[in-house]
Amino acid sequence: MAQRVVVDPVTRIEGHLRLEAMLDDSNHIHDAVSSGTMWRGLEVILQGRDPRDAWAFCERICGVCTTVHALASVRCVENSLGIQVPRNADIIRNIMFLTQMVQDHVIHFYHLHALDWVDVVSALKANPAATAALAQKVSPSWPTSTEGYFKDVAATLTKFVASGQLGIFQNAYWGHPAYKLPPEANLMAVAHYLEALKWQKEVIKIHTVFGGKNPHPNYLVGGMASAISLQGDNAINIERLTMVRGLIADAIDIVENLYIPDLLAVASFYPEWTKIGGGLGNYMSYGDLPQNGIADVAKFRFPRGVILNKNLNEVLPVDPADPAQVQEEISHSWYQYPDGKNSLHPWDGVTEANYTGPKPPYKQLDENKAYSWVKAPRWKGQAMEVGPLARMLMGFASGRTDYKEVVTQALGKLKVGPEALFSTLGRTAARGLESQLAVHWLMDEYDRLIANLKAGDSATADTQFWDPSTWKAESKGCGFTEAPRGALGHWVHIKDGKIANYQIVVPSTWNASPRDAKGQHGAYEAALIGTPMADPKRPVEILRTIHSFDPCLACASHVFGPSGEKLVEVKVR
Amino acid sequence: MTAGSVDTWPDPKGVPRAPILVLGLGNLLLSDDAAGLHLHAALLAECGATEQVEFVDGGTQGLALLHYLANRRAVLVLDAVGLGAEPGSVHVLRGPAIDGLRVARSTTAHEGNALELLATARLLGDDAGEIVVVGVEPAHIGTGIGLSPQVTAGLPAAMERARAVLESMLRG
Repeated sequence: MAQRVVVDPVTRIEGHLRLEAMLDDSNHIHDAVSSGTMWRGLEVILQGRDPRDAWAFCERICGVCTTVHALASVRCVENSLGIQVPRNADIIRNIMFLTQMVQDHVIHFYHLHALDWVDVVSALKANPAATAALAQKVSPSWPTSTEGYFKDVAATLTKFVASGQLGIFQNAYWGHPAYKLPPEANLMAVAHYLEALKWQKEVIKIHTVFGGKNPHPNYLVGGMASAISLQGDNAINIERLTMVRGLIADAIDIVENLYIPDLLAVASFYPEWTKIGGGLGNYMSYGDLPQNGIADVAKFRFPRGVILNKNLNEVLPVDPADPAQVQEEISHSWYQYPDGKNSLHPWDGVTEANYTGPKPPYKQLDENKAYSWVKAPRWKGQAMEVGPLARMLMGFASGRTDYKEVVTQALGKLKVGPEALFSTLGRTAARGLESQLAVHWLMDEYDRLIANLKAGDSATADTQFWDPSTWKAESKGCGFTEAPRGALGHWVHIKDGKIANYQIVVPSTWNASPRDAKGQHGAYEAALIGTPMADPKRPVEILRTIHSFDPCLACASHVFGPSGEKLVEVKVR
Repeated sequence: MTAGSVDTWPDPKGVPRAPILVLGLGNLLLSDDAAGLHLHAALLAECGATEQVEFVDGGTQGLALLHYLANRRAVLVLDAVGLGAEPGSVHVLRGPAIDGLRVARSTTAHEGNALELLATARLLGDDAGEIVVVGVEPAHIGTGIGLSPQVTAGLPAAMERARAVLESMLRG
């Protein structure tokens, strides 16, 4: 009997997300519905404000992605006002960006996503000596893989579990048949999870050097607020920069010797997941990491482009500032546009609620009507997936050798071809491979900064257009970045020195998009279709695929039987 | 790893880390969710940072705040705490009350954010000897800057409790 499985995640960070999956008689998902259930409308908060302050509000949109929203915001205001930032400002922004990306990816893998593949409770049964042998084989360059070390980790874990406070581990499906790792691999993963947590406490300090001590770093329209003087006492000096270098070296170490080996080891136990969860097959990246100013798109480390229908032989050009390319549709969203329009470019974007859905709490949504607070962004009318996989594919298809090298190496170790990338596991692997590129780019950006400083260029900001009296009466700007979760765009319309309109299209808007007027699914919806479920009451398969997109979500899951009665209600992360 | 750089970061010749941390949590753009941040700002204005006390506005950053918790004698968390009480009510939680919340009340205003942070710090052995949460029960959590009248009315009482906790922490 067909069933409808409802996963209703709840988070305050990016708004709530709810998924409904329709199962056929053999427990395969044949259709899916992705719905944002919380109205945010943050754009309204920005209207009428000084555009130079917008980044500070944007930094508070998402707790996990503070720096990327600030970056997109200053870039869109600079684009609007015709400001070109000094080279050092681009480099410092790149360092902040890469630090956040690597920290976020490592934490996503170990703290959130690994629990979809690693059974923490099973780790308690592991033999420490056998675990040490396994770890020495998987991560030969990691120094702490001894029997005593794993005994200590097992003891820490046992104590934590025995205290009755499974806490952060309590919401997984321990013992589910879909978990396939032996206890030793599970213990190794838990040990490395602890290592990753300790490391991320350190690496994030790079932000405090360049962005000030506060956990919400300072950005500045026109550049960066970081005063640098190699010999100075109070500015960012050579001693602080040397510490940054040490932290980058540690990041290279942990990504290459822990994250990548663990990722490949875990992946090797789940080969079927290279065939599940592919979804749309359309990928988009705005590109990022400018090497010669934000206008020189060809010099970005993250190439810009679109790939359609998994065709890696062609990368199509994208321009987020072109009103004909990126538009947000509302045919299945709880919004209204003026004059009955269905689709607008963000410069003309309107954030006006029009809730027509059922009164919560409800059992299920009607996908034939409006069913989400998320709009449906489209590129030339096509639904797109954004994120690490889109970026890695763009680099791979653009023929960049560094991308080809890491991708080919990983595929070779897993003994699969490039088609394996179009999957849940491909998405998860792309995040790791991107981190591998990112840590080396981080060191490279650091070296560029030091070289500039040594050559006597210490400018970090251009303030000639700071004063609103230097601005045109009216201007429009577009700022973009490749956030850890994918393409992020901010669009501003400045009039008489104030923000007349501000629109944000976040990566999750692309990925969590509902259907459009043509009935095309969004990326989450498409990725779930075809997934086999071992036990619909414990939908770990849905979580694996949705988590592979890295949404910042906590979720509550409600599972319903064929007649709609509630079968199970579980809290899941 | 970079052992030894923790206490005086980011300046190798700087002052050691203050033994007490006052950590404000919440989303500034979600009305009453920011109650802890308002408390944090008021307490900072009144007491000021010293060598004994560091004030950090943590927003909603979750695990990225772990390093602020390390190497502290005491931590005072200021936050919105939704326990289903009358909006504007003040909650003071210590030890077992926080642990109980972790298991039984995973749908607080924080959706595991602050609790997850504290639990992870414990797993790493980074939890301070004394952790106290002072929070205000929210009336409304939705897009907007500024607190509801109920929470605004509850702030003076919350300030009094937070001040008393901080003074007690300072006495050690």
